Amino acid sequence: MHAVVQAIILGILTGGVYALMASGQTLIFGIMKVVNLAQGALVVLAAYLTYTLFTTLGIDPFVSILITTPLLFLVGVGLQWTLLRPLHGEDVAQLSLLVTFAIALAIEGTLSFAYGATLTNVGPSYANFSWTVLGYQVSFVRFVAFVLSLVMLGLLYLILQRTRFGRSVRATVQNPMSAQLLGVNANRVSAFGFGLGAATAAAAGSVFGMLNSFNPGSHYDLISRLLTIVVLGGLGSIGGSVIAALIMGVASSLVSALASPIWSDFTFFIVLLLVLLLRPRGLFGARTRGAL
Amino acid sequence: MQLRIHRPEVRRSRRLLGVTGALLVAALALTGCTTAPKTSTSKSPLKIGISLSLTGDFSDSGKAAERGYALWASEANKAGGVLGRKVALTIVDDASSPDQVVTNYTNLITQDKVDIVLGPFSSLLTVPASRVAARYHYSFIEPAGGGPAVFAQKLTNLFFVQPAPTTEGGNVFANYILSLPADQRPKTAAYAKLDDPFSAPIADNIQKRFEAAGIKTVYDQTYPAETADMTPIIAGIAAKNPDVVVGGTQEADAFAQIKAMIQQKFNPKWLYESNGANSPGDFPAAVGAANTEGVFSSADWYAESPAPGSKAFIAAYTAKYGGTADQIDPTSAEAYSAGTLLQEVAKKTGKIDNATIIKTLHSGVWPTLVGNLKWDQYGAPQGAYLLIQWINQKLTTVYPANKAQSSPVAPKPNWAG
Repeated sequence: MHAVVQAIILGILTGGVYALMASGQTLIFGIMKVVNLAQGALVVLAAYLTYTLFTTLGIDPFVSILITTPLLFLVGVGLQWTLLRPLHGEDVAQLSLLVTFAIALAIEGTLSFAYGATLTNVGPSYANFSWTVLGYQVSFVRFVAFVLSLVMLGLLYLILQRTRFGRSVRATVQNPMSAQLLGVNANRVSAFGFGLGAATAAAAGSVFGMLNSFNPGSHYDLISRLLTIVVLGGLGSIGGSVIAALIMGVASSLVSALASPIWSDFTFFIVLLLVLLLRPRGLFGARTRGAL
Repeated sequence: MQLRIHRPEVRRSRRLLGVTGALLVAALALTGCTTAPKTSTSKSPLKIGISLSLTGDFSDSGKAAERGYALWASEANKAGGVLGRKVALTIVDDASSPDQVVTNYTNLITQDKVDIVLGPFSSLLTVPASRVAARYHYSFIEPAGGGPAVFAQKLTNLFFVQPAPTTEGGNVFANYILSLPADQRPKTAAYAKLDDPFSAPIADNIQKRFEAAGIKTVYDQTYPAETADMTPIIAGIAAKNPDVVVGGTQEADAFAQIKAMIQQKFNPKWLYESNGANSPGDFPAAVGAANTEGVFSSADWYAESPAPGSKAFIAAYTAKYGGTADQIDPTSAEAYSAGTLLQEVAKKTGKIDNATIIKTLHSGVWPTLVGNLKWDQYGAPQGAYLLIQWINQKLTTVYPANKAQSSPVAPKPNWAG
C-alpha cells in the first residue's frame, strides 16, 4: 500500500511538469492547427538557458524563469513570423510538420555546437531535497514544479478567458474566417499564440533541467511523450492535456513501481489506444473547433 | 607526427593533385629533364590507419580516442619513432556509421596501404571493422569494442585494450563483496539494469555470483533506455530495503538513480553503479560532490590511477591539450595504450609487422596504462577492472588489495542531501 501511494504521489508530481509542456503544444495546435514538433527542443533550449544563467551568473533556476519566459516568447513569435507564416495552401498542416521538425533539428544542432553532446544538469543546492510527509517522500523541486505548473496554467487560462487577446484567440480557434471578418488580426493572434506556447516551454525547461540530466538530443524523447499526451487529452484542449499528463504520470509510475519499468510506457500507449478506439477525438477533444 | 584527417573534399583535391603531378612528370620526361631519384637514408614512416567517429552519435568519444592516438604518436615520435620509423597517423571520419567504417578500413588498407590499423570507437563499429582487418590479415588492436558481439566473431587478429570484456566489468565488485567474511556480507540485493547489451549483463554477472553465494535478490528490474525518471524504480527498491544495490548503468540513468535515492532518502550499505559513477568530472557535477561519498564503480584508467606511466601520460596530455587530469576521458588512455602495445611488440621482437604483432600478443602479459593485459585466442582480455570508490570526493582504487590505494568504505555514508 505504501508503494502504491508513493507511486501515485510521484506520478502526479511528474505529470504536472509534462502538463506544462503539453499545454503549450496543444495551444499552438488549437490556434494554428500546427503540430509543433519543436516543443521538446524549446524545452531543452530553455533548460540550457537556465543552465547558463545558473552557472555563469548564479541565477536561481526558478528565478530565471522570469528571464527565460519572455525570451522564449520572443523566440516563438520570431519562429512563427519567419518560418511558419510564409506557408500557404492546402497542405499547411503537413508543411508545418516539416518546418517545426527542422526547427527542432536546428535547435539541437546549435545546442550541440555550443554545449557539446555530454549530459549536463542544473544543480542548485536544493535539487535533491525532499520532505517526509507521513512517511512519504515529496521532492521539493517536483512539488514546486507542480505548483508552478498550476500557476502557469492558471495564468494561461486568465489570458485566454479574460483578455481581449484571449478572446481573439478563442474566436480564431472556433472559426478563423468569422474572426477575421470581425476584425481579428489572424497573423498577430497566430504569432502571439506560438509565442505563448513557446513561453510555457521556458518554465518547463527550468524544471526539466533540475530533474533530469539532459543533452541536446533529449528532445526526441520529450516530443514523443508530449505528442501522446496531447493526443490522449484531445488535440487543442488545454484541460485535456493536463488530465492526460496526470494519467500518464500516475500510470507510468504505478506500473513501474508495482510491475516493471519495461511495461510503464507501454501501459500508457495501451490506455491511449483504448481511448482512441472508444473516443477518436481523445478524452476532451471537442466535436466543434473550439475546445479551449 | 603527421595527423591527416581525410574528408571527401580533401581527397578530391589530392586526386586532382595526383593527376596534375602525373602530367607534370610526363612533360618532364618528354623534355628529358628528369631529375635523379632522391636518395634518403631515413627509414620509411610507419603508416597507421584509424577510422574514428569524429562526427555523429559517438563523436565525443571518437574525439577522445583521436586525442589518445595523436598523443601517443607524438610521444612515440619524440622518442625516435617505432624502430626508428616515424609514426604517421591517417585518421578518417566514419560519422559513427557501421557502413562507413567498412569503407574506411578497406580504403586505408588497399588504397592508402597503411602498415597497421588500430580500432575505431564502440563495439558497433569494431565488429565490421575487425572483419575487414581479418580479411587482409591485418592485426586489429582496438581500444573500445568490448561487447559480446566482438568476441563472438572468433577472430584471432583482434586484441581488446581494456582489462576485461565489457560485460565482466562488475566482476571485481562481486569479488570484493564475496571476499568479506560471511557475517559482514550483505544479505539482500537489488538490481536495476539498463536494457542494453553492455549494461544489464554487467549486473547479471554480479547477480549470478551473489545468488550462488546466498545473497537474496529482493528486487530485479530491467528498464528501457528511454526511462528518464528513475524515482518509481528507486521507490520500488527502497520499499524492499536491500543491503546492496547494483546498477547496471550507462551514464544518465546512473545519475538519475542516485538523484532519486537522495530524494527518497534511501541509502543502501553498498551501492555499485557500473558506469556513470566512474566519471571524475560529470558524476559530482550531476549528483553534487558531497553525495558521491562511498559510491562504488569500476574503471580501467582514471586520473588517480596507480598504473605505472599514468602520471607521465597525464603530464603529456595536459601539456598538449590543456585542461585538468580529471577531464581526461578514459577512452584517450585506452587509445594511447593501443599505441604503446605496438611499441612493446617492436621492443620485444625487433620487428613491426602484422603477423609478428598477432603472434607476439597471443602470449605473455603486456603492461599498459589500463592494466597488465593478456588475451584469450579471440582477443578477450583475461584480467579484471579496478574497483573504485568515491572517498573524500576522490576516485580511489579499493580492490583488488594489491592495487588498492585505500581500503573500501562500508557501510556507505549517508547522502549529504
